[in-house]
Amino acid sequence: QLTPSSFLRIGQLSNVDLNEDIHELQTELPRQRPNEIPHNEKLLSLKYESLDYDNSENQLFLEEERRINHAAFRTVEIKRWVICAMIGILTGLVACFIDIVVENLAGLKYRVVKDNIDKFTAKGGLSFSLLLWATLNASVVMVGSVIVAFIEPVAAGSGIPQIKCYLNGVKIPHVVRLKTLVIKVCGVILSVVGGLAVGKEGPMIHSGAVIAAGISQGRSTSLKRDFKIFEYFRRDTEKRDFVSAGAAAGVSAAFGAPVGGVLFSLEEGASFWNQFLTWRIFFASMISTFTLNSVLSVYHGNAWDLSSPGLINFGRFDSEKMGYTIQEIPIFIFMGVVGGILGALFNALNYWLTMFRIRYIHRPCLQVVEAMLVAAVTATVGFVMIYCSRDCQPIQGSSVAYPLQLFCADGEYNSMATAFFNTPEKSVVNLFHDPPGSYNPMTLGMFTLMYFFLACWTYGLTVSAGVFIPSLLIGAAWGRLFGISLSYLTKGSIWADPGKYALMGAAAQLGGIVRMTLSLTVIMMEATGNVTYGFPIMLVLMTAKIVGDYFVEGLYDMHIQLQSVPFLHWEAPVTSHSLTAREVMSTPVTCLRRIERVGTVVDILSDTSSNHNGFPVVESNPDTTQVAGLRGLILRSQLIVLLKHKVFVERANLSLVQRRLKLKDFRDAYPRFPPIQSIHVSQDERECMIDLSEFMNPSPYTVPQEASLPRVFKLFRALGLRHLVVVDNRNEVVGMVTRKDLARYRLGKEGLEELSLAQT
Amino acid sequence: EGSAALTGCLGRRARPVRLCQGCHGHYRRLLALYGSIARAVGNSSESHNCAKSILTSDRLQIVVTLSEFFNETWEAANCANCLKNNSEGLSNSTEEFLDLFNKSLTCFEHNLQGETVYLSLNNYTEVCKNCNETYTKLNDLYNNLQRMNRKGGESGHSAHLCIDVEDAMNITRKLWSRTFNCSLPCSDTVPVIAVSSFILFLPIVFYLSSFLHSKQKKRILILPKRIQSNASLVNIQEKYS
Repeated sequence: QLTPSSFLRIGQLSNVDLNEDIHELQTELPRQRPNEIPHNEKLLSLKYESLDYDNSENQLFLEEERRINHAAFRTVEIKRWVICAMIGILTGLVACFIDIVVENLAGLKYRVVKDNIDKFTAKGGLSFSLLLWATLNASVVMVGSVIVAFIEPVAAGSGIPQIKCYLNGVKIPHVVRLKTLVIKVCGVILSVVGGLAVGKEGPMIHSGAVIAAGISQGRSTSLKRDFKIFEYFRRDTEKRDFVSAGAAAGVSAAFGAPVGGVLFSLEEGASFWNQFLTWRIFFASMISTFTLNSVLSVYHGNAWDLSSPGLINFGRFDSEKMGYTIQEIPIFIFMGVVGGILGALFNALNYWLTMFRIRYIHRPCLQVVEAMLVAAVTATVGFVMIYCSRDCQPIQGSSVAYPLQLFCADGEYNSMATAFFNTPEKSVVNLFHDPPGSYNPMTLGMFTLMYFFLACWTYGLTVSAGVFIPSLLIGAAWGRLFGISLSYLTKGSIWADPGKYALMGAAAQLGGIVRMTLSLTVIMMEATGNVTYGFPIMLVLMTAKIVGDYFVEGLYDMHIQLQSVPFLHWEAPVTSHSLTAREVMSTPVTCLRRIERVGTVVDILSDTSSNHNGFPVVESNPDTTQVAGLRGLILRSQLIVLLKHKVFVERANLSLVQRRLKLKDFRDAYPRFPPIQSIHVSQDERECMIDLSEFMNPSPYTVPQEASLPRVFKLFRALGLRHLVVVDNRNEVVGMVTRKDLARYRLGKEGLEELSLAQT
Repeated sequence: EGSAALTGCLGRRARPVRLCQGCHGHYRRLLALYGSIARAVGNSSESHNCAKSILTSDRLQIVVTLSEFFNETWEAANCANCLKNNSEGLSNSTEEFLDLFNKSLTCFEHNLQGETVYLSLNNYTEVCKNCNETYTKLNDLYNNLQRMNRKGGESGHSAHLCIDVEDAMNITRKLWSRTFNCSLPCSDTVPVIAVSSFILFLPIVFYLSSFLHSKQKKRILILPKRIQSNASLVNIQEKYS
């Protein structure tokens, strides 16, 4: 039996290193009881639960299935397609809205600052312009940060880590609510207008996911409106599939890359993938990009021009003008290596910064102040660089919307201003397509350096903002620099077109930071509209990923770890075959009998020391010496609905219950089930019995205790389970495996390591 | 002969560019001539054959090539921009511009003449001071013309003004900025440095104060409920001893 001291000892150790000497393991005594430790990335938080992806096939469900005939199933399938179409249309419209509002507001801000600068250039007093620019930035970002920090903190960041976790099966609180969508959209508009070094593409994915989750339920819990449609889809299984479609629609609207969107969902979310789901997701993505394209064309005055398929448009890459030869492949691979190293540097710096922020800057007002400061400093850095730059170039055509003349000769414009005084998307497109000789290497170099640190500082703030566009911009800048130096070295050889190298640099940098390979390759291929570039882009991204993974992991994975989310990777860590289910499971398990006293149920649910959500149901024998075999599994949410409707055996006998409980009652309470404290059970009712046979899942997945960890992991992950019961050879419940038990094990630097649980 | 006259006119007025002003008459006449050749009067096949025999009966097609060249050059120069609608003469805005341009040039000459003795000193402050007003007026007028052109010309028209005006402005600007070096001086560096260093200093203060004053966020560890029986420890021991 376990002794309290050994129990304590095991709890203290946060590193189960199988390579360590065993004597150390047994004789190490704790000097003190470290109940509280500063936050680090080797923790798992208790506040994240799994989604109930696995369907509870109780008798109610089977009755419903029997009632629905074949024609009704076809209706359900058609409804799924209709929902996907609506997801696509709405996501496209939201993207249009963001784009149009950002264009107008940012244009207004730039006009005001430009007029001010032009006025004060002649008169002197440019410091006033600097103050004006910094104040404008800071105030806009203050509004953006306040709504995120005080109203909905989960809308901070780009939203991609949260959606990755959701598709992995983790229920992140508030991530797909209407309030989150509103805050996210407003937040991203304000961040971009506020001049921060951010992009608006990442938040599109989160918005698409929220739209999908909202539409597929056919009602709005926040607005308390029930449209009484799509009731079949009110469970986690369907919702998660629709959220994959929504995320893909978001990617497709952001980049004009429908296939890239599908692959993004596939790469991040697929544990349960089938062909129909792929078709529906593709359908949603296509509709999303088409909607965005047509609405933006109408807005820009040339209807049916269909030339802006995404929020960012990389422009046409012509194979004739910008082809590549096989001698350039090693150069591209070298650029991939550089991208990987720079990306690892970016991630490492951001890691320290985020750790500092989590530990010390956790009050909302401090977070708002920090965001304001970053905005002001961004404006200052931009202004100082423009002020000090003596590089003047005549502009060709109308490639720059707000040219700043500053101290240049008339007819010429400050070229640093074309980089800093522009929205990042336009700067990226300029870097790709401007003819050789438009950029001064010194200007470009300084810009790259400054923007790198600004972007690294900005990501992780409490604002809604993405990191795709800043990384593309940094990569395009140093890629172009690389191309310029290459053509200088080879004395103007014809194949060193800097725009092509800008594209490769952008891909390398983005790959080095986010480490997505498959979906990113396709996204870039579709965004540039040229399949020939697919091969070098793929090489560059793979190289960047390999080099970067050697040092640090990707930015999103890093943030997921820092938030202590129990994320399950594709497979169990490779050296974990020695662990069995017996060592992994949690025990003892709180079980319920098939016919259980209401008082016991209420007490178990109200127990605050252990917040269980699933309870194995064992046979209820009057003779307690006999073994109680596993009969089923019941969830906390189901018990709460039963208690609310007072479905007790005595009441049924007295015919007090007018109608039997149907599946609809469970679906109506989904997803925000009331807490146990709001259910009032009187003293008399506590003595009643409750029969769980109809409502429990009679065939829960079980696993014997000798099963190895990888086997348990595979079962859990592939089926999207929430609870996995561990039984012995007599079908008795021995323990329970949940997500936290499995996510604990990770392959660290020295070997298998175990994370500790913490309350956050 | 028409084309010879036009070519001569273009060549003579190539630098500084005056071809819109000087050659528009020649161009109009040539255009009319070509039109009368190419157009088929009535439906008679006779004049049709006439056009064909002049224009397209050999491989080189010199007449067509020449006419295309003149048309393209005229379009590229965008002379239509500074001529009146019926192409009879220069438009009012163009005349105003050229007037100011001449005034600026005379102003430059006038102020420079007095300094020929002191050319070695390269001191152009007189020019800058006296001609500033004229030059600013010229510059503003040019910017206005450009803005109006851009506004009216977003649907298909060229973004450029006519080449005479552009070139005149270019020359003036080069003289003003490069030769005379009269551009605006880089003033008030000190206040800019002061304000920017203040703003750049604020985050450092912020981070230091939050590091020193905020309570570090601590996490409470939860002990897991698991079996760690001797059997399993033996399991691990067996593998590694």
